[in-house]
Amino acid sequence: MSGTAINVLYFAQVAELTGTRLETWPLTEPVTGADWLVQLESRYPQLAPAKRLKLAVNQFHVKPSAIINPGDEVAVFEPVTGG
Amino acid sequence: MVVVQTDDFNAADLTAQLRMRTAGLAGALVTFTGYVRDYAEGQNTRTLFLEHYPGMCEREISDICTQAQQRWNVPEPVVVHRVGELGNAEQIVYVGVASAHRGDAFRACEFIIDALKTRAPFWKRETLSSGERFWVQQRETDAEKTALWGTDTPSDTTRPA
Repeated sequence: MSGTAINVLYFAQVAELTGTRLETWPLTEPVTGADWLVQLESRYPQLAPAKRLKLAVNQFHVKPSAIINPGDEVAVFEPVTGG
Repeated sequence: MVVVQTDDFNAADLTAQLRMRTAGLAGALVTFTGYVRDYAEGQNTRTLFLEHYPGMCEREISDICTQAQQRWNVPEPVVVHRVGELGNAEQIVYVGVASAHRGDAFRACEFIIDALKTRAPFWKRETLSSGERFWVQQRETDAEKTALWGTDTPSDTTRPA
């Protein structure tokens, strides 16, 4: 992964709605999770409202205020339901 | 010990192994086993499919166990969680905790399963006997119960600097 993109992983219902589980997403400047979710909803309107979704960056849960940097692994999913 | 696997597990064997590893140190051993049940009221669950985020999943559960060890006197908790297609009444998850005293063992075991339900990246998709399929939604009571434990809520402060 270079400094010009992020790897995006989709799980469970989010993967079903986007029709993909993994994609490379161009990103050259840092962006907040909240702002990136707006871009995500623009690309996949079927995810609306995207702000209900949870994010992990580099395999750690983050709040929407967290910064996503080029080169990061970003995961998008609904609240977890294990156990 | 944290294991995520598709195969079933033998809860009695896991408990016996934990007992042997902690023999002489542990005066108490508490285990929790979760099973597939009918989730929707009045409708029969045929199967449950469990998806997970490999890597993050094992790390989150390990972090939860580490937090339990820092908070209570509980050496090496055991967590085994299954993924993939599970039939009704099959085992999903095992948590085993040994301690010198029962209070620590009870509390750590409940903390681990509560935190797992709201932090570990697993998702359940239920198929009813009617054939209808849907993704299970997180229950508000689970999030509230985890919040009661205080320090284990997902937060960007848990990311390494």
